Amino acid sequence: MVSTCLTAPKLSAPTLQTLCRNLPLTLPSSTLYSFSRLLSPSTSRFRHHHVPLQRRCLFSTRSKSGNDAEPLRDYDFDLFTIGAGSGGVRASRFAANFGASVAVCELPFSTISSETTGGVGGTCVLRGCVPKKLMVYASKYSHEFHESNGFGWKYDTKPKHDWSTLVANKNAELQRLTGIYKNILNNAGVTLIEGRGKIVDPHTVDVDGKLYTARHILISVGGRPFIPEIPGSEYAIDSDAALDLSTKPEKVAIVGGGYIALEFAGIFNGLKSEVHVFIRQKKVLRGFDEEIRDFVGDQMSLRGIEFHTEEAPQAIVKSADGSLSLTTNKGTVEGFSHIMFATGRRPNTKNLGLESVGVKTNKNGAIEVDEYSRTTVPSIWAVGDVTDRINLTPVALMEGGALAKTLFQNEPTKPDYRAIPSAVFSQPPIGQVGLTEEQAIKEHGDIDVYTANFRPLKATLSGLPDRVFMKLIVCARTNKVLGLHMCGEDSAEIVQGFAVAVKAGLTKVDFDATVGIHPTSAEEFVTMRTPTRKIRQSPAAEGKMGVEANAAGV
Amino acid sequence: MARKMLADGELSQTNKEESRYDFDLFVIGAGSGGVRAARFSANYGAKVGICELPFHPISSEVIGGVGGTCVIRGCVPKKILVYGATFGGEIEDARNYGWEVNEKLDFNWKKLLQKKTNEINRLNEIYKRLLSNAGVKLLEGEGKIVGPNGVEVTQLDGTKLSYSAKHILIATGSRAHRLPIPGQELAITSDEALSLDELPKRAVVFGGGYIAVEFASIWKGLGATVDLFYRKELPLRGFDDEMRAVVAKNLEGRGINLHPQTNLRELIKTDCGIKVVTDHGDELIADAVLFATGRLPNSKRLNLEAVGVELDKTGAVKVDEYSRTNIPSIWAVGDVTNRMNLTPVALMEGTCFSKTVFGGESSKPDYSNIPCAVFSIPPLSVVGLSEEQAIEQANGDVLIFTSTFNPMKNTISGRQERTIMKLVVDEETDKVLGASMCGPDAPEIMQGIAVALKCGATKAQFDSTVGIHPSAAEEFVTMRTVSRRVTACGKPKSNPE
Repeated sequence: MVSTCLTAPKLSAPTLQTLCRNLPLTLPSSTLYSFSRLLSPSTSRFRHHHVPLQRRCLFSTRSKSGNDAEPLRDYDFDLFTIGAGSGGVRASRFAANFGASVAVCELPFSTISSETTGGVGGTCVLRGCVPKKLMVYASKYSHEFHESNGFGWKYDTKPKHDWSTLVANKNAELQRLTGIYKNILNNAGVTLIEGRGKIVDPHTVDVDGKLYTARHILISVGGRPFIPEIPGSEYAIDSDAALDLSTKPEKVAIVGGGYIALEFAGIFNGLKSEVHVFIRQKKVLRGFDEEIRDFVGDQMSLRGIEFHTEEAPQAIVKSADGSLSLTTNKGTVEGFSHIMFATGRRPNTKNLGLESVGVKTNKNGAIEVDEYSRTTVPSIWAVGDVTDRINLTPVALMEGGALAKTLFQNEPTKPDYRAIPSAVFSQPPIGQVGLTEEQAIKEHGDIDVYTANFRPLKATLSGLPDRVFMKLIVCARTNKVLGLHMCGEDSAEIVQGFAVAVKAGLTKVDFDATVGIHPTSAEEFVTMRTPTRKIRQSPAAEGKMGVEANAAGV
Repeated sequence: MARKMLADGELSQTNKEESRYDFDLFVIGAGSGGVRAARFSANYGAKVGICELPFHPISSEVIGGVGGTCVIRGCVPKKILVYGATFGGEIEDARNYGWEVNEKLDFNWKKLLQKKTNEINRLNEIYKRLLSNAGVKLLEGEGKIVGPNGVEVTQLDGTKLSYSAKHILIATGSRAHRLPIPGQELAITSDEALSLDELPKRAVVFGGGYIAVEFASIWKGLGATVDLFYRKELPLRGFDDEMRAVVAKNLEGRGINLHPQTNLRELIKTDCGIKVVTDHGDELIADAVLFATGRLPNSKRLNLEAVGVELDKTGAVKVDEYSRTNIPSIWAVGDVTNRMNLTPVALMEGTCFSKTVFGGESSKPDYSNIPCAVFSIPPLSVVGLSEEQAIEQANGDVLIFTSTFNPMKNTISGRQERTIMKLVVDEETDKVLGASMCGPDAPEIMQGIAVALKCGATKAQFDSTVGIHPSAAEEFVTMRTVSRRVTACGKPKSNPE
């Protein structure tokens, strides 16, 4: 584990804590990397991945010189990264590990992001994945208390939630994590500069008036929530603020049907707010598998969330008593303590100096990059949400890792966007990898769809209306599993392993050959014997399978 | 599971030529393996009869029930109790997340037990319906073999029915076994432990296997004082040693008193409970003493010697790779054959049997890379080889990747319990030989990993898979640096730790 941490801490709290424990041991390796930089100023010819620790230690006494500019250099740094979030930190650390001299700049820490505030760790750690998941953990307990009644547990007084304890403990954890991130950069020998970076020319970055030159510049400034301008939109909060409210919202409107909207709906509902979700479409989660969209909407409704479909927000009015009302195309709902907009995120590309230096952005403001994450300016690169490719932490990590290899290990590497799994931490959560049924039909034509919709063992005892939905989409021609979707308890954890299988191009036969783990929900995925439907381009074979499917399944 | 089986629906009986037997197949024992084989054979068009002992939660020579161990006295009721017990820890964890919960919690064992029994009854009925929907004739009574093609079923009222069958399948499972020490009659087995009238306040568990650690976790989670005694240094012999150590540590961390390398010598009834005497001479008083000291195949009362079906020395029915005994018309699947005693394995054996005998497709069960789980709290799940097995079997070097971390939930709950994950990789082929995990959700996480292993996935394929963030499972695809390398001769070459 120690050695794993030297090169591969991932951007999640679990590993970070391990890292923290192991920090003293990481020092020898970073000093070795400093040493190798002396040998090879721009690109290291050495691969340090598997150098035994003993050898690393031999070098450690020889080099204490770190980040000073070296005489052979034309530039202050081999790489200057703007933005120390998931992608930026990964690229910087890996680049440094490959022998590059690296600096990264980041805005001062704040839980709310703005033009002037950010913090080492970025969205994932400070305003995204991590705090969100902590809130999900907190909010899930109310459902668990409910469930536990069915298992014989009784509470003399109904469990009450104290908002301030949660927020205080959550913020303490975020502070700890941002500190760990700084340590990670420091230990990798990356120079951390606090301030706002702006590109001056293809090789120069201005940080609050001080100029730094670099052979390569990486833009990894991420994205920020976006609230559309409507009358009263100044009363609305975004997800940054929603993660850091000082008091519990009594009645909250969430505008939006994407994953952020659903996650917060679950959080607030679990923490006993009255929750209304307003979505433009008929269904939540556009882009997800249609059956999953229906299923998660139903399950969330059963837990007490009220969905207002096909309603677009038009105005927010603050009344004399301080409460807010939301007017949509269908009417007005009053009495909200909070109105949250989860209406999308925009790349942080303003005031970066992009126009002047010639870095092209698309109409959403996202930086245009090629397959290697290179912008229209050859010395300037971009990874993560600012490029608006697939906006997920692990994808930013992949892009950052690939970039470091491309630039400093003589190994041009394209991120691979096939079969990227993802999760929605709604309650119940969703996990998915590969194609939706609709995409699969479009791309492959003939497919077999296997579904299971069942009441899990836990729910038969708890008496709650919780169900699980699972779906496998199989190519009729090649037997390959094209897509796998699940909504229900533990979906996110369950799908990861299957993602390895889908990514490896495994077939339905391979799934069937795997023995189940009993009793679990996950075993359903290896025991689906009969297709729910076979979809064929030729009209003759189209439609629901009845007797024929049964015969095939035995 | 019952639900899965329902999905198959009615069969279409394709009648073959008039048979000279009453049945094409007669199955003795309607547990996981027997029901599966009976249903699938019927679906292939066979005329199938099955017999099973009357239903009761506690099994004996004359008590059983449709559904078998898994449904009535194993996986299902066990998991229900584990769910119930897990809430104990969950409620503790909730406090740092801001939940104000009474210090003194009330847990009603009788309620849980009643609901468990209702669920078991429901499943028992579902299984019966499954059989009848498949066109299988179900007989209640004790089955005996009277000839290579003859069975006799003794019904509850003592009447005996005789049937002839082209094939006979023995699927009678196994039963918990008590160690013969003085006072052993005071102890209970897992059967009774799943149906106790009262929750013990002081529980002693004897045994180091998965049943022992599961019950220790259940009772502890429900508030009992638990002492776990086992003969080895670590529980769970046969599992990866590093995982065994973590399980032991976690059990201890959850408040279970561990007594490694300790045998029980005697049980004595006293006024204040059962006095338990160890081979170290220590004594303690318990309300319940559970013997989780192994299970034995139910092969005794089948009259096997009359027809010459061979047993091994543990009493397990000997079978070939196709589950055939030494008598060509008699077959056996599931725990009674003591191959790998897991429900899904019995299902696989039952399926293969049906295919082989009635589906016109010889098929052998494949025992490689079978995943399994121990529902301790937190659980353990593994697939493929342990580190020790890999070192023994691999030709070249074995690379060990491990990750030990504090799960994100614990950063706020304050629970001191680490999750551990491990991948064992053959350096030469890059194949992942084994995966294991001890921590919350391990069994759910491992199922997908098992698909990958079953198909020979390489470490490179794991690495190329993007993580799901933030999850525990993503650790399995982000282990980039070798923790240690072990040479084929079994000695670590370098160990950075």
